[in-house]
Amino acid sequence: MSRIRNAAAALALAMAALCGPQARAETTLTVHYPMPGFFKAVMDTVAAKFMAENPDVKIAFATPSPTYEDGLQLILREAGTADLPDVSFVGLNRLRILSERNIVADLQPLIAQEGDMEKLGFTDHILSLARWGGRQAGLAFATSNPIMYMNADLVRKAGGDPDHPPKTWDEVIALGGRIKALGDGDAGIDFRWQGDDWMFSALLFGDGGTMLSPDEKTVTFDGPAGQAAFALVGRMVKEGGMPAFTKPAGEQAFVAGKVGLEFQTTGALRNTIDNVGRKFELRTAPIPLLDPKDGRLPTGGNAVVILTKDPAKRDAAWRFAKFAAGPYGASVVVPGTGYVPNNALAATSPQYLGDFYATHPLYRAGLDQMDRMIPWYSFPGANSVRVTQAIVDNLSRVVEGTATPDAAVKDTAAEVQKLLPRR
Amino acid sequence: MAEALRSAARAPGRPSGARRPAPRPAAGGALPLSAPALVLLLLFVILPTLAVFGLSLTDYQLGDDALVFVGLDNYRDLLGDAGFRGSLRNTMVYAALVTPASVLIGLGLALLIEAETRGRALFRTLFFLPVVSLIVAMATVWQYLLHPTIGPVDQLLRLVGLPGPNWLGSSDTVLASLALIGVWQSVGYNMVLFLAGLTAIPRDLYAAAAVDGAASGWQRFRLVTWPMLGPTTLFVVTISIINAVKVFETVQTLTEGGPNRASEVLLFTIYREGFVYLRVGAASAMTVVFLLLLVGLMLLQYRIQDRRTHYA
Repeated sequence: MSRIRNAAAALALAMAALCGPQARAETTLTVHYPMPGFFKAVMDTVAAKFMAENPDVKIAFATPSPTYEDGLQLILREAGTADLPDVSFVGLNRLRILSERNIVADLQPLIAQEGDMEKLGFTDHILSLARWGGRQAGLAFATSNPIMYMNADLVRKAGGDPDHPPKTWDEVIALGGRIKALGDGDAGIDFRWQGDDWMFSALLFGDGGTMLSPDEKTVTFDGPAGQAAFALVGRMVKEGGMPAFTKPAGEQAFVAGKVGLEFQTTGALRNTIDNVGRKFELRTAPIPLLDPKDGRLPTGGNAVVILTKDPAKRDAAWRFAKFAAGPYGASVVVPGTGYVPNNALAATSPQYLGDFYATHPLYRAGLDQMDRMIPWYSFPGANSVRVTQAIVDNLSRVVEGTATPDAAVKDTAAEVQKLLPRR
Repeated sequence: MAEALRSAARAPGRPSGARRPAPRPAAGGALPLSAPALVLLLLFVILPTLAVFGLSLTDYQLGDDALVFVGLDNYRDLLGDAGFRGSLRNTMVYAALVTPASVLIGLGLALLIEAETRGRALFRTLFFLPVVSLIVAMATVWQYLLHPTIGPVDQLLRLVGLPGPNWLGSSDTVLASLALIGVWQSVGYNMVLFLAGLTAIPRDLYAAAAVDGAASGWQRFRLVTWPMLGPTTLFVVTISIINAVKVFETVQTLTEGGPNRASEVLLFTIYREGFVYLRVGAASAMTVVFLLLLVGLMLLQYRIQDRRTHYA
């Protein structure tokens, strides 16, 4: 499909080049992106604006991939063939695979050439989200952190005060238990532990824990922080009224008004607002941290990467990457999705999003947590995705009550240790 | 027609001059005529299968530019892989639930529809609808129906005071829930096949059976319908098993193999190994095993059933 479309686009371009009155050199960039449900409108807007400002570059979109994983597969399949897109957007936790396989361009030299990236709103902190071992694999495009979504009506019914949301996990669990006790099939908590290790790392990093030792050879998430994280998931089920939802079931139950407190990415905010509509009053708040002082949160989202090896195209691709990840791109992404701004300039300048947050309080929860964001940990070596699944599988044992949190964390550590590269 | 030709050939005393040259075996013509099909078969079926077998002997990972020949290591790993064994077991349980149910219900519906002339087309269409609907879209509907808090099924159960099971969310019920969807999806297809088989049974056999004293419906079914449906049943059972073993879409859309791998089936494991974990070598080994299993199952089944099937 994309091949046909690319071929058609190339043909059309060739015709245009042959017949056009002025033979101006024009570069066409093939751009690929994931999750069209979130990003299609955003991408169209950004590309149109970019082409208006850069008339010598044309943006042609490849068929988007439904998820980050599908996008990664497409790139890996087409790497080294003529079909490989010139620019893509890759999930932050999958960037390392492409970087280790040398498929994405190292942006370090381009950044050095640019000089002052800070002036464009790219602080070193923001750049570090897409950096692995000295290589700049991409520029963070859409970034998110986990927040708490509240059904204010249920919270009030259970005797809580939505203006003073729970600040600690103990308060969350107590409130969740009271919401479940209302009966009527209401659930207290929905914590998005399914799918990948992102929300687990929110609990782990929130207690100051780490996944692996600094040399990346030994599992460290079975330490006190990881044990506390697993125990907390167990308590959510036993005391906080969290059912064993599948991922879509949890989301649907929340927007249907049957869940009191939901914990997931702020990137889902726009969709949640649209789906809840007027069914109940939706509120958001920062996610509690086991260690309120030194706790950190993982950064979800994706980064724009350059795949083309052609020098002329690379220049155009760099311009597009800077533009998309720059302040204008962020000012389109944030209201359109709920992601937090990945650009310091965009967040503060009234020209971009300075005024947006004053009028859209639901979006503040993610913004207020921005200084806690650290990279979404990506495991080294060939088994990195399998490691993620091992964590999810063991969490589901805790949620189903077939293993104690202590046993589950031990099993996870043993499984993951075996999957790490033996060097 | 064939009879006429044969008797014409046997007819004696024909003038030899009128005899046409005897048809020679068209040995030279067969190959060019079947070549297009053979080339396509080679290109799109045989070569890819061989390629999968070749890859299964390597450690190839998607996106890597190098691969190493590892012999039978991937197969040896499979033997000790609890995940693969679990997924094999899940697939068998699923097939064992779906195949008999969808074949028997399909047969029952076909008999009921065949027996009554009113509304025949309507019921045929209604029961066939799940087959033509897009299963990924319908999976979403099932997901809502079986939802533990807002799903109508559990709400009805709560109304009568029964605790609704957490259909797709609990590892105890998830396979049965998926099997339920699988049966719903394939019953219509089996029904249509059985209907076709039923119309092919000559009416006079029933008349003959009646003369011989087969009075009850059950006797008619046992003595005429069931034996005459033999070839159809063989085909339906075969295709049902293949389809059940190939289950993927509902697992991918509804459970992603969870909770805790309780609904991981073979195709899903292969997909995950190859395209999510990127370990193409290991996934190819699984594919080869899957293929062998399927072929073995079919051969066995044909051996057993073919002997007892009466072809009219």
